[in-house]
Amino acid sequence: MANILEVKDLCKTYVIDKRQNNVLRNVNFEVEEGDMVAIMGPSGSGKSTLLYSVSGMDVPTSGTVCFAGRDIAKLSQTELAKVRLDEMGFIFQQMYMMKNLTILDNILLPAMESKKDERSRAEKVAFAEELMRKLSIIEVADNDINEVSGGQLQRACICRSMVNHPKLLFADEPTGALNRAASTEVMDALGKLNREGTTIMMVTHDAKVASRCKRVLYILDGTIKGEYKAPEDENLSDADRERRLQNWLLDLGW
Amino acid sequence: MYWNILKRDIKRKKTMNVILLLFTILAAVFVASGLNNVVTVMNGTDYFFEKAGIKDYVLFTQNGDGGVEQILKTSGCVKDYSMEKCIWGTNGDITYQGEKLKVKNNTLLIQSLDTTQFHYFLEDNQELTEIADGEIYITAGSFARNDMHVGDTIRIQMKNTDKTFRVAGEIKDALLGSDLMGNTRFLLSENDFKAYEADKSLEPYLGRIFQVETDDTGTLSAELASATNILFSSERATIRLSYVMDMILAMLVLVLSICLIIVSFVILKFVITFSIREEFREIGVMKAIGIRNAKIRRLYIVKYLAMAIVGGIVGFFVSIPFGNLLIASVSKKMVLGNEGGYLFNAIGVLAVIGLMVGFAYLCTGKVRKLTPVDAIRNGQTGERYHKKTIYRLSKSRARTPFYMALNDILSAPRRFITIVLPFFICSVFMLGVVMVTSTMQSKSMITCFGKESDIYITDPKMMKTVLVDKDQEPVLQENYQAIADELEAAGMPVDKVSMEVWYKYACEANGKLYSVLFQQNTETHTTDYTYEKGTPPQNAYEIAITPMIADQLGVEIGDTVTIDFGTEKRDCVVTALFQTMNQLGKVGRLHEEAPTSMKYSTTMPGFQVDFSDHPDEKEIRTRVKKIKELYGITGVFDAAGYCVDCMGVGDTMDTVCLLLLAITGIVVILVTVLMERSFISTEHGQIALLKAIGFSNRSIFWWHVIRFMLVAGFAEILAVVLTRPITKLWCDPIWAMMGATNVDYYFSPVRIILIYPGIVLAITWIAVSVTAFHIRRIRGTDIVNVE
Repeated sequence: MANILEVKDLCKTYVIDKRQNNVLRNVNFEVEEGDMVAIMGPSGSGKSTLLYSVSGMDVPTSGTVCFAGRDIAKLSQTELAKVRLDEMGFIFQQMYMMKNLTILDNILLPAMESKKDERSRAEKVAFAEELMRKLSIIEVADNDINEVSGGQLQRACICRSMVNHPKLLFADEPTGALNRAASTEVMDALGKLNREGTTIMMVTHDAKVASRCKRVLYILDGTIKGEYKAPEDENLSDADRERRLQNWLLDLGW
Repeated sequence: MYWNILKRDIKRKKTMNVILLLFTILAAVFVASGLNNVVTVMNGTDYFFEKAGIKDYVLFTQNGDGGVEQILKTSGCVKDYSMEKCIWGTNGDITYQGEKLKVKNNTLLIQSLDTTQFHYFLEDNQELTEIADGEIYITAGSFARNDMHVGDTIRIQMKNTDKTFRVAGEIKDALLGSDLMGNTRFLLSENDFKAYEADKSLEPYLGRIFQVETDDTGTLSAELASATNILFSSERATIRLSYVMDMILAMLVLVLSICLIIVSFVILKFVITFSIREEFREIGVMKAIGIRNAKIRRLYIVKYLAMAIVGGIVGFFVSIPFGNLLIASVSKKMVLGNEGGYLFNAIGVLAVIGLMVGFAYLCTGKVRKLTPVDAIRNGQTGERYHKKTIYRLSKSRARTPFYMALNDILSAPRRFITIVLPFFICSVFMLGVVMVTSTMQSKSMITCFGKESDIYITDPKMMKTVLVDKDQEPVLQENYQAIADELEAAGMPVDKVSMEVWYKYACEANGKLYSVLFQQNTETHTTDYTYEKGTPPQNAYEIAITPMIADQLGVEIGDTVTIDFGTEKRDCVVTALFQTMNQLGKVGRLHEEAPTSMKYSTTMPGFQVDFSDHPDEKEIRTRVKKIKELYGITGVFDAAGYCVDCMGVGDTMDTVCLLLLAITGIVVILVTVLMERSFISTEHGQIALLKAIGFSNRSIFWWHVIRFMLVAGFAEILAVVLTRPITKLWCDPIWAMMGATNVDYYFSPVRIILIYPGIVLAITWIAVSVTAFHIRRIRGTDIVNVE
């Protein structure tokens, strides 16, 4: 499998009141096509900063981020926006949606904005509905955003992130604002998409969520302290997977 | 504590507070200056007339006194009178720097200061008491019109007398200085005037000006009806009305200030509601710890009180020069004495402060609705009883920025009322004034002055022969024929040359005697004119009158009025009512066969020419030029030009339109910046989301710009559609003051649909585009920092 994302010597420093805060220090890793990677670490370790830096939403201080063979540092703001629209998908902890649009229209919005997407409007609508059907939220398609549950809303956010067939899906604490049942629904949905070929990179502090990923990168004080590869044994239960990951995390001082 | 909260608020909502303060200043400036100007101009005419020594009744004669002095001597209602001599002329007689003098109204008069009973004032309001031989003073406004200066020379060449004078200054002339009168007066020394008076060939032009002190102007007017050669006569109150345009301008400023106050309140309501909505957390916490509603409200009211006081103080000081600027054109020709000084400015400012604070108190009532739970739930109650979205992206063919813009408006239209109202209020008032100006500059008002003809010749050079050779009716007919022949020879086939002649006759109605001005055109039919009510006079003893005359005489359609035609006394039946702006609406119309005599004529506005080949407007304009060249005159007009000439305020109204456009532009910029900044602030999270999911700055920028332009466009369309009915509401009473009771407004599509709304929308476009650039500062990562 080819690498969809290659991160080399990535550094991010914030200067606050003339004091330097090195949030990321020489971070190196790759993500292969079809991979599902979780980034874990304690609060303030730099997880979200890493996610936003590699997705082009934030500008790294140094180092390179190659996305689909292109150094994103060399792209203009407009080119970056196009890459985010056509080739990346985003899911956030808070389920942000446009207030005056229905669930279906919110999902459709990136597809309608994309100029690269050559599908007809009808095809785009059909695809959005198919995604909703796949994630079991088709019945709320015409609802307003405050007329659905948190789990449904986050699944709608997943649909929106998938509507332009992204090469890589970034998720920042996708289950952070959800209860256990809703978290399971969302992770089931993400797992399904990954099995169908979508590459996913997510930030989480929940070992149960991370245990459903193929790889886990543990970040501490801005550097990657270790990488965990999930066992390939398909007969292993979810509880066993979570226990194994917990043990590995405890070894790293979690 | 109040000061700390105020300081923090000023820091956090800088743009909004600055804009609100600007609105407060604007409202204070306009209310203060408008109020002061209205009081100044209203009292100003009385004050000026008193200082100028204008008595109860004034009349002018030409070619002798026409028996006026004898009537005044024997009249029982005359307490006292004075008489002074003048010589009537035209601008053709006066040369300035080798060219004809430019004047507002082409009937001029020269007079001696030494024998006059009137008082004239210099630019600094000092009375003019002495004129040296060889010096001349001219009515105010002439310097600007002719680029004239003190020390320049003027040559007055009348018949056999030719003298050159040194211009010594301008004078404020109460009787003739208004826009509607507009006659230029030249004051000379007694010796210089005598040189002209001694010229025998000028005898027909020698006139008299009588001033009468009386308690019964009605009876006096009726008694004077038997006198001849009267050019103009009027009571003081009517002369005062000739300053109506200045009054209207001052009133417009006051109406404009009311519009601005409404706009300020709309903005104030928005800002207060916005501030309170944004501070749901602070308010919720304050309530949770037990602070009472009244105390929380006081926190906000203190801020608006402080703002109103600062705005009021600044507004007071700005209103003084601004008010002076607005009435500069009036104060140039009038001695204005407002005894209240700047008291009215202060009253206006205090009213604005009081209204603002009272309104702020009402608006802060929203504080009561917020609860501690709001602080916990991020200001959302979660309650929603209606479906928001009606326009679906999945069914739309529009591009996303346009779709989002339109969907926002359709989903929450109430949110945009704050934009629609100020835009609508300012635009509808501005477009109203534009429509009034267009009406005044079009031929749609021609029926207020007479019958529509192709061309009007009012140049005094042409009129002189007719005016002076009175009592010789054939001369008038000969003039018609001569003009027709000359125009035919120049390739302009004439159907008819005619003239409205005005007569002053004594009328008896309900046992009382009155003096009434009548118009008659012997070459047209009374059926050619427009009437408001009744049927046109059918024979010599049927008349039409204006509603004002009907009120004065106490008669209605069907009643009889006895008219003393001089040659015979006949009962005439009133058959119709009509509107006119001639003599501010105080006229009657006689049938073409009525037994009139030129002996009783007072004035003639001009020749009317109708062509037999019915030329279009372009050809008429060409012929106007040709006739000017043919006779070497300037006073030739088409119907629209004639209306402008009669009202004499076309240029002033154009200036008012531009002033209103500028003010609307300022309001539009302030409202746009304020609203767009608040939109960006409240939609920070949504903008960050769009950026995060890959929307370009450009798309988000267009979303905001298109949304604003759609709302502004709607407001402009609404203003255009409602301009006519709303203008009728506020302007019809003003027209009625001048005699026009049913004005057909001219809706100029180019000005009212294209130019003015176009400029407003262009200003909006620039303002919203510049403000929307703030979107660039919002980053996709802000999504994680948004509450």
